[in-house]
Amino acid sequence: MMNKRSTTQSVILYALVLALVIFCVFPFLQILSTSLKHPIDWGNPSLIPRVLHLDAYKELLGLMPAKEVDVPASVQRLLDNPALSAEKKQMLLDKFSAGGDVFPFGRYMLNTFVISFVTGICSTFLASLAAYAIARLRFPAQSLMANGVLFVYMVGGVLLMVPLYQMSVNVGLASSAAGTIFSLFLIYLIQTLPVAMYMLGNYFRTIPFSLEEAAMMDGCSRVEAFWRIIMPLSKPMLFTVFIYCFVIAWNEYLFASVFLKQYQDFQTLPLALQTLFTSKNAIWDRIMAASMLTLLPVVICFMLANKHLSGGLTDGGVKG
Amino acid sequence: MQKREEHMSSVLIKNESRLGLKLVAPAVGIIGLLVIYPILFNIYLSFFDVQLNGTKTFVGMENYTDLLGNPRYYHSIGVSVIYLIGTVIGTTVLGLAAAILMNQEFRFRNLARGLILLPYFAPVISVVFGWQFIFDPVNGIYNHVVVDVLHLTDTRENLIGNPDSALFVVIVFDIWKHFPIAYLLFLAKLQSVPKDLYEAAAIDGQNAWGRFWHVTLPELRFVIATVVLLRIIWNLNRFEDVYLLAPNVETLPIFTYYQAFAGIVDQGVAAAISVIQLLVLVGLIWLYVRKVLKW
Repeated sequence: MMNKRSTTQSVILYALVLALVIFCVFPFLQILSTSLKHPIDWGNPSLIPRVLHLDAYKELLGLMPAKEVDVPASVQRLLDNPALSAEKKQMLLDKFSAGGDVFPFGRYMLNTFVISFVTGICSTFLASLAAYAIARLRFPAQSLMANGVLFVYMVGGVLLMVPLYQMSVNVGLASSAAGTIFSLFLIYLIQTLPVAMYMLGNYFRTIPFSLEEAAMMDGCSRVEAFWRIIMPLSKPMLFTVFIYCFVIAWNEYLFASVFLKQYQDFQTLPLALQTLFTSKNAIWDRIMAASMLTLLPVVICFMLANKHLSGGLTDGGVKG
Repeated sequence: MQKREEHMSSVLIKNESRLGLKLVAPAVGIIGLLVIYPILFNIYLSFFDVQLNGTKTFVGMENYTDLLGNPRYYHSIGVSVIYLIGTVIGTTVLGLAAAILMNQEFRFRNLARGLILLPYFAPVISVVFGWQFIFDPVNGIYNHVVVDVLHLTDTRENLIGNPDSALFVVIVFDIWKHFPIAYLLFLAKLQSVPKDLYEAAAIDGQNAWGRFWHVTLPELRFVIATVVLLRIIWNLNRFEDVYLLAPNVETLPIFTYYQAFAGIVDQGVAAAISVIQLLVLVGLIWLYVRKVLKW
């Protein structure tokens, strides 16, 4: 019926598609382009750098050769003094090299990866248990819990930041680095649990009950049927849910900024990038290279999970 | 014999409900402790003067009366309303347009479908810098085009630096970032609209616009309602996308954040704002669960 298109219609269609794709992709191209440009090239509106400039990436990834330290002659004389211990000499040297110039990107990436990974695993595991129960078993207050999950998911983090912060202060978790990170982990868990339960619950319902029934006829218990039948069948969805939770934690800024402000060594990428941007030595090429490196794992994750994700997202009131 | 079977089945039911409770316990326990309890604790805190270190002094309704007499509060409500209207209309219209476009057949369709999801997937923190650069007064492409190419004005403007124009940038950014989720919802529904409805309309002599108006829109009515309601619910609480791009655009969540963690800290007032906002939110969620999920 609509297969036949005139040439004009085709041209309009392709023009619209192209415009939409450019609108979506342009900021990414801008980030990539600026990350590869030399500072003198920033004012150049073209997306193609005049000279390829990889210093920003090298610096972030720690591939830059250590800068020769400029030491004044008076200090050099002190350093040459054999009476001074090696330790003291190093301290002196550090004073001149450490201008807060080095941005420990690798460290921040590792922090972010660890907390996101742990959140993803725990959340997917706990959610799969609860989602199975809600989807398949009959127990008291079941529908209350099923609806409650949806309600809880829609209560945004902003509404909970004051009470959650006060709770962690009251129980003393906020006073140590370990306690703070644990609080943050718990908060990421509740930010991901409801959506994970929702997505998995919907998925478990699509698995025919006869499969479990057959397993139980063969002498499996309910729990065994869940482990041996449902979980293996749900692997792709479990992976998708894990990625979704991982990315929520990877991107989170609000609570990281509230909890980790004074623990610089444990900051996550969003917080560290924002600090880098607002600090004096914010340089576009470094910011953009850091953005690119933060973005890449997420984009790869989503490409891996895309097949199931689009379906999983549209099934429920997923955050957007 | 029959008695015994009844007994068996009641044991089974009991076992099943015990297992069910056991399985939901960890998740529900954590949610109860870290969502339900904080909501109640928040109401309690809103009657106190609360410091960052946890000291509390009871002040009764003072936080609420302070808040209702604070012009900044009304200003941030106004900003939030403009932000909500702009983003809800923007994402719904663009999402619908994109879905109709991507439902056509053309070459590289799968590639295009994948590419337009990128804004939704990408971390906010990364893409805000790209947007900052586009609107940068010195190097940005926006000023280059407006001033040097089109000669619309003579002066390069810092659009994000000025709160009024920044609100506009934030709205466009939000539409860019979140229209893909609306698009996915619309596309899923469009693909399930029976083809013969369109054929019947074509036989009736409807042109493309008529088919859109008389077939597509009525079929999508519920999805449109879902999208609009969900956009309002999510954007009412949206913090990161606004704060990281333009911290000078004071929507309600950002006003709350400043009250709670910046400058003269007043967490009690922040709690009071959250309580009022939660009431509005509960109303919206109730509407969503009652009206939209039941459809």
